[in-house]
Amino acid sequence: MVDKNQAIIDFLLDCPQIAYNPLFFNAIKAKDNDKQIVTQSDDVTLDEKYIDGSVMKRFTFTIIDFRSVVYQPLPKVAGYTSENVQEMFDVQGMLDWVNEQAENENYPDFGTNCLIDSMKTTSNTPNLNGVDTSVTPALAKYSISIQIEYLDTNKAVWNS
Amino acid sequence: MASTIKQINLKPGQRAERKLLVTVAEWEEPISGTTGVETVREVMGVRTEDSAIEYNPDIQESTDILGNNYTDVNKTQPSQGFDPFLILGGSRLGAFLNDIRRRNALSELQAFTMYIITVFVGSEGQYEAEKHVDCSITYDSIGGDANVNFPITVHYSNKITTGTVDKIGADLQFTPDVTI
Repeated sequence: MVDKNQAIIDFLLDCPQIAYNPLFFNAIKAKDNDKQIVTQSDDVTLDEKYIDGSVMKRFTFTIIDFRSVVYQPLPKVAGYTSENVQEMFDVQGMLDWVNEQAENENYPDFGTNCLIDSMKTTSNTPNLNGVDTSVTPALAKYSISIQIEYLDTNKAVWNS
Repeated sequence: MASTIKQINLKPGQRAERKLLVTVAEWEEPISGTTGVETVREVMGVRTEDSAIEYNPDIQESTDILGNNYTDVNKTQPSQGFDPFLILGGSRLGAFLNDIRRRNALSELQAFTMYIITVFVGSEGQYEAEKHVDCSITYDSIGGDANVNFPITVHYSNKITTGTVDKIGADLQFTPDVTI
């Protein structure tokens, strides 16, 4: 049986923002540019069961992206921006990368008995969960939640 | 006469999962580039959440002067709907029916053999089944919202041969019952 968490990790290593920065799984002592995968539990009552015994399931996880922040006003000159805006734009690139993979049907490998039906981010822009001012430099915590729907045929009648 | 009824192969009180009632469609398809045909089978019900065989019995009821009721069952016209029946990659039945739809070749909808397999009766390698020949499959609509749905209805012929199948899958082997 394929470890879906490892499949997700392997998949995300192709993302440029993740490939060149430290990646953590669930636990982290965050620094600037660190990324973290946080697993979520999915409600089994939302599973859709089909008459052949296969089940449509969800696999949801969140990527947290830690970015240093500056406490400076925005420059009021066209074409110039602040580090905060640039960081947000870079995080947005990670979200766009995930959706681009989905459009190309390039999915994580969940094994032959788990066919991925769709992958999507649950929002169009990253969520800012807050700024941690207890560390130096202060870190903004951006998050992107990703939901994968896959057809689990392990208990389909022809596999039983 | 000894009973030929095979008992349900579940523990006492255990419910039969829906997947243990399987419908398999069989039809003949031309082999591309030749004059030959090949027999194709497909297990039905992929991505269908709910489907039942409706027997649609035609009954006639009467009551005599003593108040006793009599019910005559004249016929049944079994049918089974599959909604949704999604257009899915790898589904040869979907491709076959869609080809009929685009050519409006309605007569080709009437040449299906259907297997109804009761996996909850029999044992591994010998599941009880019934084979209906000359069945029809009709498509009811095509469209939908996010995905293309092509709901279909199977109309069983009641030309039944009972028997067993060795497995669930497109390569199943049907063995008719032997009557002595």
